[in-house]
Amino acid sequence: MGFNPLEERGIDVEDQFRNWSELNVDPYDKVHVDPYTRARVILMNGIEVESIIFSHQVSRHTDNLEIRRALALSRRVDQQQQKVVNGLNPGDQTPLETTIGYEQVAVDLTSWLARHEPDPMLKQALDFALLEDFDHLYRYADLYDLLEEGDAADLTGSLTEITPGRPTFTHHRHPYDTVRGHYSTHTVDPLSRLHVMTITAGEQQTMNFYMNHGTDWIEPLARGLYAEIAQVEEQHVTHYESLLDPLDSWLKQLVFHEYNEVYLYWSMMQQESDRRIKQIWELHCNMEIGQLHAACELLRRYEGVEPLEILPPALPDTPVTFESNKEYVREILATQYDLRTDGTDYVNVGDLPKDHRYFRFQETVNAGGVPSEMVIDDERAERDRDYRDEDGANPIPELRQIVAA
Amino acid sequence: MTTLTPTKATGAIAQPAEALYIDPECQISENAVAHTIDLPGVNGAFVADVISAMLAHERCGAHLYRSVASRTNNPMLERRYKELGEETEHHVEVLEQLVTSAGGNPNYVSAMARLVEGTDSKLLESTFMLNGAADIMTEELGMLDAVFLAESMDHANWHTFAALVDSLPDGEIKNACAAAVADVEDQEDEHLDWARSTKRRLVELQATSAIAAKAEMKAEEMLAAVRNWLS
Repeated sequence: MGFNPLEERGIDVEDQFRNWSELNVDPYDKVHVDPYTRARVILMNGIEVESIIFSHQVSRHTDNLEIRRALALSRRVDQQQQKVVNGLNPGDQTPLETTIGYEQVAVDLTSWLARHEPDPMLKQALDFALLEDFDHLYRYADLYDLLEEGDAADLTGSLTEITPGRPTFTHHRHPYDTVRGHYSTHTVDPLSRLHVMTITAGEQQTMNFYMNHGTDWIEPLARGLYAEIAQVEEQHVTHYESLLDPLDSWLKQLVFHEYNEVYLYWSMMQQESDRRIKQIWELHCNMEIGQLHAACELLRRYEGVEPLEILPPALPDTPVTFESNKEYVREILATQYDLRTDGTDYVNVGDLPKDHRYFRFQETVNAGGVPSEMVIDDERAERDRDYRDEDGANPIPELRQIVAA
Repeated sequence: MTTLTPTKATGAIAQPAEALYIDPECQISENAVAHTIDLPGVNGAFVADVISAMLAHERCGAHLYRSVASRTNNPMLERRYKELGEETEHHVEVLEQLVTSAGGNPNYVSAMARLVEGTDSKLLESTFMLNGAADIMTEELGMLDAVFLAESMDHANWHTFAALVDSLPDGEIKNACAAAVADVEDQEDEHLDWARSTKRRLVELQATSAIAAKAEMKAEEMLAAVRNWLS
């Protein structure tokens, strides 16, 4: 039997508060950091932000003081956890470098989840958005070369290829086509539930980051690129959150949130190469176990539901792992490059009728120039090539490097 | 051993719909559902869906009773909620056995069952998510109202099912359904009668007595008053 957080004591929520010095952690060294340590920091920051915002939403739907106080208690600790995790990012890491970290997270997290996802529909949802985030990494890497003369491979450690995916200008679809069907809370595999919650939180954090950092720039091209890709992240949050079953009550959702946080901190602990940061994951895992117990107590008391009715007997055997997924991404790019969405279905772009709303939406938003194309045009004009970090030729012939004559 | 929350681990199955994906491992077709109640002149799929919805309501009822039994401040209400909760869990067992004996899966969750669960979930939430403005006497009435509403639906479900069973062709399925109705129907009458009469007693008690909550009443006095209700 694996690790069952319900059988672990953890740390009582009241005992989890830290002082200001403990919150003001030393950041990692941006030059020497393991790219996947940066990825873990980005992911867990997003997980904490989701936990905090979700808790606020629950609080706005109840005036039960006992529940509100329990939420406020755990939420304040989550805020402290978020400060510690996000505080690991160094101040000399530029917003564009952080952005490239975000897109590496998106590519390697989505790939890993898709590779381990038991439900074919959910795997399809992951594969579909994977190719879009993969392309965002390429566009931002070119912007990084253009504006900061930076080599994105230094940030990714060449663990993730940088080459065009499904081109960003094709991502812009009518909002109706960003809504998916959802799983059933009764039939969903526990691992699938955790996967969907994780990717929703991760994409939401990316959306939030671009919403707030898109104006850090003077250059219109950079501002335009962030605005364009931020809209795709909005699509991705809609895409992923619509996979969640709305039948679950607020308190059940709270328990699932805490359980997922335990799973993820436990996962991060397994693979962290930085001893100091590993200790943070371990501490936070024990804190989340305490928060899980508190949430379970609310569920038991107010809904009469025993947590084991809705939770698996142990965490999944396999921790969520940041690792290279180059072959997997190439395979998905080769087979799903032409995929689009039509209502809740996935279709080949060639099968969409010519008057489909997808094409009308494309004409509207792409009129007057597309920043994600302009950045590549400018890069080619400046350097006689676009920036890539490839292990071989792109699997799609039309996406292969154009070398100036 | 009854199941109060069907999950993949307990063998839950469902039919997909436009907005609802079901893992292929857990899918069941309408034809397969219909085959459970395979009788001439009967819409077997619909009847199977109705039974699934009844089962969902009983399961939610068991959760409701657990919740209110642990939160009431009145010992008599607590004891009665526990008794009714045990009987409700027995009704879950009766329905699960009925479905199993017909060759079906008691953890089939029909679309109708999802709607019922949604209704019941909000009914239960109404007893605690919005009680910030309520004193403990009002909270008790709120919990009792939720029980009354749940039992009203339960009562209607079983009476409707009893009438449906009467119209089924003779045979094993009819006999199994009739046995389930015979096992449960009288208890459902009692549950609703108790909820209705207790609601009336508590309302009358507070409307005509000095123990009704007053603004100046201290919490301890109110708690003592609630504890003495019905004694």
